[in-house]
Amino acid sequence: MFMNRVLYKAALVAVFIFALFAVNSCQSKKNEEHKKIAIIISTLNNPWFVFLGENAAAKAKELGYETKIFDSQNNTALETDHFENALASGYNAILFNPTDANGSIANVLKAKEVGVPVFCMDREVNSAEAATSQILSDSYSGCVALGKYFVQQLNKNGKYVELLGLVGDNNTWNRSKGFHEVVDNYPGLKMVAQQSADFDRNKGMEVFESILQAHGDINAVFCGNDAMAMGAYQALVSAGKEKKVKVFGFDGAEDVINAIAEGKITATGMQFPKVMAYTAATFADEYFKGRRDFPKKMPVAVEMVTKKNIKDYTAYGKKEEQ
Amino acid sequence: MKKIIKYAAGIFLLIIVAYNSVYFRKLDEVKASSSKFDAKNFARNYFDNKLMPSLPDAVEINQLLSLLQINKEQTFEKYGHALGIGNIRYFLVKGEGQVTSINENDVIVLAKADSNQKSIRIATEFVFGNAIRDASGRIDINEFANTMDFNNVSAEINKIVRAEVLPAFKKSVVKGDTVQFAGALELNKEHLNVGDIEIIPVELKIIEKK
Repeated sequence: MFMNRVLYKAALVAVFIFALFAVNSCQSKKNEEHKKIAIIISTLNNPWFVFLGENAAAKAKELGYETKIFDSQNNTALETDHFENALASGYNAILFNPTDANGSIANVLKAKEVGVPVFCMDREVNSAEAATSQILSDSYSGCVALGKYFVQQLNKNGKYVELLGLVGDNNTWNRSKGFHEVVDNYPGLKMVAQQSADFDRNKGMEVFESILQAHGDINAVFCGNDAMAMGAYQALVSAGKEKKVKVFGFDGAEDVINAIAEGKITATGMQFPKVMAYTAATFADEYFKGRRDFPKKMPVAVEMVTKKNIKDYTAYGKKEEQ
Repeated sequence: MKKIIKYAAGIFLLIIVAYNSVYFRKLDEVKASSSKFDAKNFARNYFDNKLMPSLPDAVEINQLLSLLQINKEQTFEKYGHALGIGNIRYFLVKGEGQVTSINENDVIVLAKADSNQKSIRIATEFVFGNAIRDASGRIDINEFANTMDFNNVSAEINKIVRAEVLPAFKKSVVKGDTVQFAGALELNKEHLNVGDIEIIPVELKIIEKK
């Protein structure tokens, strides 16, 4: 009789513990299901970043998370607002494309303070400790390859212009540095103007139009991204010089890939935004599942695209990837 | 008269103040001067103490090309290095062979390890990029606060090769010489092209004159 009572009580305790675990597991599953990922993008005024943001959102959704894309409009103050909103609204991770390598550090640190991981995509912040991981294009290597091709295309002689991107972004300087590491070794190649057009197509056109008025005899223009390359090309068409001046871009955006196939643009550096977006979203998923040993920096190789190998590529990546 | 002198002195002062208030500097110079990392020193140390001691472990070029034909995946995994994701991988290679031609941008060498004979281009003009820095697999990107510092290391390593390795070789090499080489090779895993092999040299020796 006593034994039965003990067994009965033990069974009761077991059922209670089991129920407790079941409820707890349901709760944690429910929490996981309701995790939200914010995607904060420097600007949605450029199709390349739209592609990056949409792919990050698509992958995060596929992994089961609620997502929202925020547009910083290349404005660090607006980016700060987005971070504050995202953190106040309970987002559990941020897939981040910063506007400024230094100016954006404070935003990342704010998220870190409250335990929200930040995964940088394509652009970096100048801190090895702030972001959980930074997935970045190897812009420098890509532009070294472009620089080498540039020298060969111009037979080591000629005048050229460089259009820089956002002055506060490391990609701007990594691309410029990669290009100049090669080109500056050739005294026959003279840079007659170097100006920033903020990675923007319209600005690229305006800046290049005024440069063309002062330097009508240039042979080439190297642009820090494809949007500026298309802007420069438009300016060349307006001036009737599109056949005389070689245009080099960087990104692998749709209009430039088409323009290379048509012989309008000479070359670009193909980045892989889908790879970066998918890696960032997958890292966030792994973080939620307990992984903590992320590489601080994860460079993604850039490949040069010219008319010779255009058949292997499509906008924003390789043909087989799409 | 006094007034004229006063005005002239005032205008002169104004011009001096205005002239000294405005500076024009190249954007990339401003950016370069803001970095405190000593890439030159780091590169020197890396080249002498990490890269050069790694050269005996480099894979022989003809052996690498044979292995790529047998099992591409495994060979990329075993000998290729890259600091991130993507199709580009760098290999630290070595070899020996006879110079068959000397061109404006490269020297062609017929690499002879065994019965395999393969024409190799050794770059003597375009020594740029991250190939040399990354091929040994002995550098960690996470040690650097930003990629600009990391890339400056590549630029400085390449400068060492262009200043210390290439001039003497280019000056004395002639067609028919037998040379020993070690350097970095870049291969694209997805679009593998072993028909045009270009090595960015780290060490070049003429071991037998024609």
